[in-house]
Amino acid sequence: MSERYRNRIELLQGTLDLLILQTLLWGPQHGYGVSRAIRANSGDLLQVDAGSLYPALHRLEKKKWIGSDWKISENKQEVKVYRLTAAGRKQLMKERSRWEQISDAIGGILNPAK
Amino acid sequence: MKFWWLWRKREKELEKEIQHHLQMAATERKERGATFREAQAGARREFGNVGLVKDVTRDAWGWRWLEDLHDDARFGARMLLKNPGFTVVVILSLALGIGATTAVFSVIYGVLVNPYPYANTDRMVHLTVHETRGNPLFINLNGPQLQQLRQAGSVESVAAMGGWNLTTTEGDLPEDVRAVYLTSNAFIYLGVPTLLGRGLLPSDAPEGQDPENVAVLGYQFWQRHYNGDPGIVGKKIQLVHKSYEIVGVVRPRFTWGDGEVYLPLKLTADPARTYFPMTRLKPGVTRRAANAELQSLLEQFAKQTPSHFPEHFHVTLAGLNDHFVERIGGTLYLLLAAVALLLLIGCGNVSILLLARGTAREHEMAVRSAIGAGRSRILRQLLTEALMLSLAGAAIGVALANGLLKLIVNWLPEFSFPHEAAIGINLPVLLFCVGLALLTGIVFGISPALRSARPDVAQVMQSSTRKMTAGVHSRRTHSVLIAGQIALTLLLLAAAGVAMRAFVSVVKVNLGYDPHNVMPVGIPVHDHTYTTWEARGTYFHQLLKKVSEIPHVVSAGLSTNATPPNNGWELRFEISGKPAEEEQRARINFVSPEYFQALHIPLLQGRIWNEDETMHGAKLALINQTLARQYFPDGDALGSAIRVPELKGEPPLALAVAGSDGWFQVVGIVSDARNDGLRNPIMPAVYAPYTVMMPVWTQILVRTRIPPLGVLHAVREQIHTVDPDQQTDRDVLDLDGRIKHEPEWEQGHLIATLFAGFAILALALAATGLYSVISYAVSRRTGEFGIRMALGASPKDVLLIVFRSAVMSVAGGVLAGVLLTITLNRVLARWIQGSSLDALILAGVVLLLVATAGLSCFIPARRASSVDPTVALRCE
Repeated sequence: MSERYRNRIELLQGTLDLLILQTLLWGPQHGYGVSRAIRANSGDLLQVDAGSLYPALHRLEKKKWIGSDWKISENKQEVKVYRLTAAGRKQLMKERSRWEQISDAIGGILNPAK
Repeated sequence: MKFWWLWRKREKELEKEIQHHLQMAATERKERGATFREAQAGARREFGNVGLVKDVTRDAWGWRWLEDLHDDARFGARMLLKNPGFTVVVILSLALGIGATTAVFSVIYGVLVNPYPYANTDRMVHLTVHETRGNPLFINLNGPQLQQLRQAGSVESVAAMGGWNLTTTEGDLPEDVRAVYLTSNAFIYLGVPTLLGRGLLPSDAPEGQDPENVAVLGYQFWQRHYNGDPGIVGKKIQLVHKSYEIVGVVRPRFTWGDGEVYLPLKLTADPARTYFPMTRLKPGVTRRAANAELQSLLEQFAKQTPSHFPEHFHVTLAGLNDHFVERIGGTLYLLLAAVALLLLIGCGNVSILLLARGTAREHEMAVRSAIGAGRSRILRQLLTEALMLSLAGAAIGVALANGLLKLIVNWLPEFSFPHEAAIGINLPVLLFCVGLALLTGIVFGISPALRSARPDVAQVMQSSTRKMTAGVHSRRTHSVLIAGQIALTLLLLAAAGVAMRAFVSVVKVNLGYDPHNVMPVGIPVHDHTYTTWEARGTYFHQLLKKVSEIPHVVSAGLSTNATPPNNGWELRFEISGKPAEEEQRARINFVSPEYFQALHIPLLQGRIWNEDETMHGAKLALINQTLARQYFPDGDALGSAIRVPELKGEPPLALAVAGSDGWFQVVGIVSDARNDGLRNPIMPAVYAPYTVMMPVWTQILVRTRIPPLGVLHAVREQIHTVDPDQQTDRDVLDLDGRIKHEPEWEQGHLIATLFAGFAILALALAATGLYSVISYAVSRRTGEFGIRMALGASPKDVLLIVFRSAVMSVAGGVLAGVLLTITLNRVLARWIQGSSLDALILAGVVLLLVATAGLSCFIPARRASSVDPTVALRCE
């Protein structure tokens, strides 16, 4: 079972990181919030499951691309809130341009010049 | 600990984070109209397996190895407990080697590497010289000479000491106290702070004045005499009717000169009074340069006081520990070599067993690798097991080392190691031991691990059977390991044989005197007492008479310097009318006529001088057989004359009869008795009346009907009646006991016992190794033997097959061992003194080894041959 999750993380790795960083660009967010934002912004198309999301969040935190703070929520609960760091911002730019290149390249293949 | 705490914290945070996620999801579902239960269940379903999510998230922390380690250790422990035989043998093999190595290394560290607590010990030297031939001599200097030595260019500082036996004069019988007189700079020179109070200070012995009456106590003396009274500083101690104020107590390791009390020493200008110099060289000055500089200085001194120096000499400064290194260094390094062999053999065992198990587990490894275990993961698992074994071995090894260390320290020859040495399992030694264990684990754990970590999965899986003979490669490795073990064991056994024979020859040596029921009671004479020749002679005579009167005493003889088996002053002598071609040396002994009777040394020719002649200091001499044979081959010894030119008195210390350096008439020949230790040949000896030379110390040899120590108190009381202040040496040993304290005896005993012990352990280890290999091979071939027997092979045939598989490695090992032993024989002979390897020992050792090997093969072989074929075939 654990192998299944690990494999998926690997498949999604680059893309998921990009999505998380992009989501946090709009403001600090907790884990559930990140997953909901990705789902909402993709028109319910992309569903990030928890087994991919949390390892990715913790990994990005370890790389110092995102930071985290413990805050108290409206219903008096301690919540871990992630925010984008300066290094993360830079990384986001890099990942974005890379994604656009890939996207252009694939687009070019699918729609050869008329 | 901190790490664990951090781990727990992150664990809790993750839990909180996930709970929050679930709660948010559930809340959202409820807002969309779901019931509480539906919302909870839905959120959970969407989330997935909480445990698994946590697991993969934890992976991102990069701490997974820690969890794996925990799992590996648990699994390893289960595997090891499942094979208790294997585990016990491996752990014991390691523990024995590590324990013995640690113990011996601890002794070496304590005695040879770091024995002294003093400051800058490496620059402290003893002022010693070598004569043209013979042993180093310690040179004592008088006051003015010491002042000159201080000025020498290579010398940083000089302190000096003298020793004297004092007595406490507070109790019933006077108690002997070894006083060490130190110049007032000595405590600064030695640089060790005191335990209580202060050391001696320059103000304790102001220049040109008598020193203050202050005393610093030795630690042992403080413990014994004052029960370690912490309030002792400031109290008084009475020594020979003089009161001293106790100003301090030294630390336990401060045993300079083995002093019991340290008193300030005033250097006098009297040229006859000499002191033992303590010299520290300047930093950067080589021993050689210092030797050269001091040579001319000492030659100048020798002109001033010729009697304090040998005729020809060259200065050879000795480091503080050089003497001990020479005495015991070889022995200790030899022991280290022995235990290193033991360790190697033990490691060989571990390697054999791990290798065998590695092969046996090939199937298991193949299965693991087939279901996705990475190579490094399997390697790590095996390494964890090996490390668990070696750490357990190290732990038990340290415990064993502790016991063995106590044994060795007990058996160390008393004067062959510095008494300052603190021999214990200390930190460097402990680190050495743990390092050794880890290295052993890694080296011998990894070699089978490397092989079984890349099993040829297909091949192993296909060969459906678990029982198959090991590959050629592993069989060859086993053979080499077994052969190596046997070779090393043979070397150790041969060394043990040689050491034991050397010791037996020391024990059975023909002494030439009868030590049984004789005790020597030493009598130190007080300073400034009995200072004339007549007075001291009469005093000694009275002491002897009084002691002879004790009921159980059979006979009592006085001997100033003649306690066998190492007695007499070694001096040059001349024979009247026979000019010497080369230097003639003999042991000169000063004794009373009863000495020979007390020791049962028979008179062979002539007569012994009588009491009257003794009291007049008659110049008569007895010689021993060796001297008679060597210098009077024609049997004309009786009536000849012998002269010892260096025999001169030095009042008020040594009182000699007038003309002591003149001619002595030889009146008799006595039988040879050991006088140069238990191993060396007997030296030529001359016996003269004790009145010829009376130093400030003498002793009475008492032969008794009952065990002599029972009479000691009576002896002390009798001496007390002659002089109420006269003490005797505190530690009295009878002559039987003294033999056991001779360096040859103690060293021989130490080496023989330990070597024998180590050799037996090595033999046991090697036998276990061989047994393990054979029984492992046999268990794997059970099926094959079943088939062979079903096809008509007899049990005898099977027995032979098993034996044949071991013959090559055993024979190879024996051969290699014999060659190794013969090659190393010279080294062995140098370190185990008085030993030589002969065919008998070698043959005996080979026989013992082959018999043991045979037995180790026979047990598993018999098991194989007695197996029922139907059972064997079905056991697949």
